[in-house]
Amino acid sequence: MIFLQDVSIGYQHVPVLQNIDLQVDKGEFIGIIGLSGAGKSTLLKSMVGKTKILSGEYRVCNLPVHKSSKKGMKELRSRVGFIFQGYNLVNRLNVLHNVMSGMLKDISLMRSVIKFYNAAEFDHAYECMKLVGIEQLALKRSDELSGGERQRTAIARALVQNPELILADEPVAALDPKSAVTVMDILQNINRSFGVTVIANLHHLDLARRYCSRILGISEGGIIFDGSPAELCSQHVELVYRRRMLAA
Amino acid sequence: MDLVQVKKAANPFKPKSIFWVAIFCAVLVCSWENTGMSFTELFTEGWPHMVSYIVGNPTIPGSSFFPPRLVAADLKIYLFAMLETLEMASVALCMSIVISFPLSFLISRNILEILFPGSSALIKLLRRAIYLGSMLLANVCRSINEIVWALLFVSAVGLGPMAGILALGLHTAGVLTKLLAEGNEAIDPGPVEALSATGAGFIKIIIYAVMPQTMPHFVSMVLYRFESDVRSAAVLGLVGAGGIGFYLFDKVRSFENGDVTTIIIIIVTVVWIIDKLSATIRKKFI
Repeated sequence: MIFLQDVSIGYQHVPVLQNIDLQVDKGEFIGIIGLSGAGKSTLLKSMVGKTKILSGEYRVCNLPVHKSSKKGMKELRSRVGFIFQGYNLVNRLNVLHNVMSGMLKDISLMRSVIKFYNAAEFDHAYECMKLVGIEQLALKRSDELSGGERQRTAIARALVQNPELILADEPVAALDPKSAVTVMDILQNINRSFGVTVIANLHHLDLARRYCSRILGISEGGIIFDGSPAELCSQHVELVYRRRMLAA
Repeated sequence: MDLVQVKKAANPFKPKSIFWVAIFCAVLVCSWENTGMSFTELFTEGWPHMVSYIVGNPTIPGSSFFPPRLVAADLKIYLFAMLETLEMASVALCMSIVISFPLSFLISRNILEILFPGSSALIKLLRRAIYLGSMLLANVCRSINEIVWALLFVSAVGLGPMAGILALGLHTAGVLTKLLAEGNEAIDPGPVEALSATGAGFIKIIIYAVMPQTMPHFVSMVLYRFESDVRSAAVLGLVGAGGIGFYLFDKVRSFENGDVTTIIIIIVTVVWIIDKLSATIRKKFI
C-alpha cells in the first residue's frame, strides 16, 4: 500500500524528515505519535504529494509520489481520503453538498457547476452519511453542527471517494473525549469492515493504543519507534516526547 | 521578556506613534490651508447666499427650490427617466459582473496559487505577470471616472443611455474587481485544501470551496455597487448619457429649481428603496 525507501521530505529544500524507510500493508490501522512540529503532518501530507519529496523512492497505492505528474497526483488523491483536524468544511454549504464535494473528480464540470447529482451518487453519499450517523443532518448547514458532527461529515466526504487509504491528521484533537471515541470507532469500523488502510496522527496515547494495530513514533526528523501497541513501553514514549526537551 | 519591556511595548505614547500622529496632523493642516477651507466663511458669508439660492428670486417664478413642482405630465416624464436610469444601472452592473468576476480571481494571490500550483521560478513569474497585468487592467477601469468614460463613449456611440451604460459598466468592473478580490483573499483555505486533496480540478474547487465562502461578500458588494451605479447614472446626464440626469442638469441650468427638487426627491426615494431591498437580500445570503 505504502512504500518508502530512504525518503527525505521537507519544505523548499529544508528536510523535516530524513532517511525514512516505511512499509504499510493493506488493512493496517496506523497511529503516528510525536511532539507538535515533529513532522507527523508533513509525513501525512507527503503521501498525497502536498509536501516536497527531496530524495528517495516513495510509492502510495502503487503510484510513484516522488516522480508523479500532475495528472498522476490527481489520480492518487482521488484514491486517498484525507481528514483534517480543522474539518475543512465549507460552512455555508449543507452536509450533503460537503459530502458530495468528495466525489467531484467523478462528476462532470457542467453537473458540478449546477450541483446536479444522479441517483447513484445520491445513494452512495447517503450510504456514507448513514455509516457515520449523520444522514439526519443532510440538509443542515455545516456551521450549525457540533465538532463531532463536523468531523463525521469530513469522514463521510472522504468515504464517498471510495478510498483505498484514509489519512487522518489529528482527527480528534479538537473534540471532547466522547466525540473522540465516536470518531475513532467510525475509523475502526471503516478499517475493519471495508479493509481501508487508515493512518492517523494522534496526540492521545490511550486512543492510539486502543485503536491502532501499529504505532509509529516520530522524533528528531525520523521514525524512532515502529511496532505494535503492546510493544510501546514508557521508555519509547519518553523517547518520542522528551528528546527535544532534553536537547533544549 | 520582563515586565519593563512588556510595559514599554504596550505604551500607547511611543515616540513612533507620536511621530505618525504629528505627520497626519501636519498633512491635514497643510491641506486645509492650501485648499482655502473655511467654516467661518461658510457660516458668515456663504450661508446667506445658499439660503437665497434655495429660496430663489421672488421676481422669477419657479426659481425657488420649494415647493417642489408637481405637474402630472412632467412627473410622468421624470419617472420614466428614472426607470431608464435604473435600467442603465442594471445593464451596466451585469456587464461589470461579467468582467470583474473572472478578473477578480486573477488578482487574488491565493486563487492564482490554485490555478497555477507550484513553487518553481517560472510558475512564480507567470503568477506575478498575470497578477500585475490583471491589476493594471482593473486599475485603469477604476481610476478613470464614469464621467470621463461617458465623454469617451458619447464620442463613440453618440448621446444616450448606451454611452452611460458602457461608462458605468467599465468603471464598476474596475471597482468590483478590487472589492471581490479582497473577498477572495480572505477565504478560509481549509476547504480549498480539502478539495484539492480529493483530486478535484481548479473550476470545481472554485465552485465548491471558494464561491460558497465569498457569496455573502459578493452579494453585498454587488448590491452596494448597484446603489452606487443608480446614483452615478443620475449624474451621467451631465454629459448627455441619458436617464434622469439629463433632466436634472437641464433644469439646474435653466433655474427651474422647483423641478430640480422634484427630481432630487425621486432619486432619493428610489435610492432609499434600493437600500432597503438590498438590506433584505443581504440578510438572506449571510
